[in-house]
Amino acid sequence: MESSGPTLFYRKNMKKLIEHFTDYPMVDDVDTRIQYIRYRMGRLKHQLWLRNRKNKEEILIDTHDKFIIDNLQSGKTCIFGSAGYYLEDLIQDLTVVEQWPIVKTFYPNAQIIKDRSEIAKLNGRVFDNFVVVNNRGDIWCELFVVEEHISKYIQAMKPGCLFFYSFRDTQIINWNRLNTDHNNYFLNFAKHIEKKYSLNLIWHDIKFAEKNKDGSGDYNILENPDTTNGNIKYVFEYETKTKNIK
Amino acid sequence: MIKNKKIKVVEPFALYKWAKNFKRIQDRFYNNQYKLRRIQQIEDFITLNNFNKIYHIEETWLDLELPATMFTDSANDADLILVTHQGYSRYPCEGIIEQIKKWTDQCPKLYLCLNRHYININNRKIDLTLPSDFQKAITSWLQQSLSNHHIVDLSRNYIDYGQNFTWSLPDRHYFIEKI
Repeated sequence: MESSGPTLFYRKNMKKLIEHFTDYPMVDDVDTRIQYIRYRMGRLKHQLWLRNRKNKEEILIDTHDKFIIDNLQSGKTCIFGSAGYYLEDLIQDLTVVEQWPIVKTFYPNAQIIKDRSEIAKLNGRVFDNFVVVNNRGDIWCELFVVEEHISKYIQAMKPGCLFFYSFRDTQIINWNRLNTDHNNYFLNFAKHIEKKYSLNLIWHDIKFAEKNKDGSGDYNILENPDTTNGNIKYVFEYETKTKNIK
Repeated sequence: MIKNKKIKVVEPFALYKWAKNFKRIQDRFYNNQYKLRRIQQIEDFITLNNFNKIYHIEETWLDLELPATMFTDSANDADLILVTHQGYSRYPCEGIIEQIKKWTDQCPKLYLCLNRHYININNRKIDLTLPSDFQKAITSWLQQSLSNHHIVDLSRNYIDYGQNFTWSLPDRHYFIEKI
């Protein structure tokens, strides 16, 4: 029988097809290396920790890190889901909370939780600063789910606590990017949070890519600004409105 | 100065290192046992429609299981342009339409993959009446903006909770033919 050409070429060795992460089990249940790779892919600032712990001369941070550090109040700071250990040398009384058990293997001081409500259960309402920077665990959901997360964070905040929260618009799902004004969408979300949770919005920075043709008549293919920290940034103050953000 | 170290502050920089390799990394999560359905769809589309000269614009390596002889280095020589490079999804909407027209001027048949999460990245008002469902809106926007083209939506509709390998291969697939 004659070969029918390319069709047979690839069908001979055809694998089972996959469409969704949960179609088949991942190997990370048994393979800690895969757990670590998955964690790293979602926690970009981990790269800074890897770099800084080996560098004896300097600590590298970015301008958003400096913005946070410059605006922190004295007292206790919680960084959740953001590889916050890379700021350990720069923030006193720091509590790092993560949801990936693998973190404990390289940063034993981390608190590992499953549900966000455990942050308050473990620590109480003690934090003067609460920081979540582009946490992969907080995105890939609708904004109402982000709101649910925030409702759990505030349980661990003291009155007057500063809440630094940032994420990427491209990883908030199930909204129509073609007929929705992006800026209003995310600003209205912050205003909703403000009203419902006594979180006063005292600063925000919402930026989208500028797209202009270059000399060849082509557009750049750059992402929205600050893929690392997120292009949607808010600072809220819990229950009070007394702080000035620099 | 902390622990005798200087603090160096830099502008936020991209810490992503794995764009081209992203699919291969995700394949390792499953011991390379499975194949992304959308890749199979592309291979089937090419093979079953007897395309033989593919000009592939790629970013993330897809490892298509098609003979190397089926690929050409020039869009002008191709019988199908295949675009899986998600960078074009980050063009502004008008730029995506202009680019599609450039491609179909070179070769009238185009298989275009778009990453839905980047569409209208720069937040511009679109002066078209579009469906409220975002996935249908993308198709409608293409159809209304490309009047002399026939557009077939080859995508599956689902809400993407970040678990559909979209950064390995963009999720919205269109066959676009200039008529």
